[in-house]
Amino acid sequence: MNYEAQLKLQAYLDGELPAAEAAEVQDSVDRDADARSLLAEFKNTSAALEGHEANITLPESREFYWSKIQREIERAEAQAPATVRPVIGISWVSWLRKQFAPLAGVASLAIVLGLLLTRPSAGPVSDSSVIELASDDMGSHTFRDQDQHITVVWLDDRTQDSEFTPADPLASVQPE
Amino acid sequence: MKSFRDHSSATDEELVEGAKKGDMVAFEELVARHRDKIYARAFSMMRNEDEAIDLSQEAWVKSWQRLKQFQGESSFGTWMTRIVINLCLDHLRRRKRQRTESIEVLDEESGGVERQMPVVTANPTERLERAELRKRIDEALNLLSHEHRTVLVLHEFEEMEYKEIARTMECSIGTVMSRLFYARRKMAVLLANLKTEELK
Repeated sequence: MNYEAQLKLQAYLDGELPAAEAAEVQDSVDRDADARSLLAEFKNTSAALEGHEANITLPESREFYWSKIQREIERAEAQAPATVRPVIGISWVSWLRKQFAPLAGVASLAIVLGLLLTRPSAGPVSDSSVIELASDDMGSHTFRDQDQHITVVWLDDRTQDSEFTPADPLASVQPE
Repeated sequence: MKSFRDHSSATDEELVEGAKKGDMVAFEELVARHRDKIYARAFSMMRNEDEAIDLSQEAWVKSWQRLKQFQGESSFGTWMTRIVINLCLDHLRRRKRQRTESIEVLDEESGGVERQMPVVTANPTERLERAELRKRIDEALNLLSHEHRTVLVLHEFEEMEYKEIARTMECSIGTVMSRLFYARRKMAVLLANLKTEELK
């Protein structure tokens, strides 16, 4: 048998030949004792190897083997914080943030709208303006910056801060 | 996903889903289930206990990092096995680059001696105790070059087809056929010789 025929015989055993070629090899096996011997040798080797890996077991305990894997996973994740997986039981802060972020947005919008609605209607709004709200004891001011799209609201107790806000707001009103 | 106490009774698919969501306990259960097989494959290829342990553990770490890529086209065990095989091949390639070309490869390329070796007619493993057979196969596998051993492992243990082996080993189908042929012939001769030596 030449080398090519030997390789073909092996491919025949492994089911790698198309049907027509497989039939040719089967004929040669029937006629040629060398082919039969080589085929038997291949089969014996395969049979000897069958199930061999099933006997190989890890020579380390489950806990010890796992501890090294876990340590390596944690070390790798610590090195790449951007790709850290969420760990059950630890990511509650981010969960809360995720759940309440839309609510915080809605609340902010409601405050801003409420303040805008209480603005005096007279006169156009300038880019930077101060709005005063009428109140006996409490002053409320809103600063809006259209360019920056920000609104700042602050409250002041007029009864405590006489330097900037008179105790009696009407006292500062000049008669026309 | 089931609760933690149910991990041992969960299917691989359920455990994989849990692990994808970051459940380490589910992943640990997967490791416990498949660790022997993954280690055995690494050991078959490397023939070294320490290297096999290290590479199998590296495979588990990689699988955790790539779990989202696992879409269930094959079983989890098969997917894991392919990871460890690729790691072993990378390791063997790196090691080979550091060495000069082995005589085994030169033999293979120039025709080798296995083609002329007489066929082993008697079954050398016949009537052997299981432990004795295992020992003898281990000895024979240790004597093969890593190229021959790898192709034998991928074909006989992993049951890969020629084209799949060629893709995995980054070589031609012709090379796979040639390596498999020499590996089988060498194994047959080595097993027969080991038996003869024992009889002496």
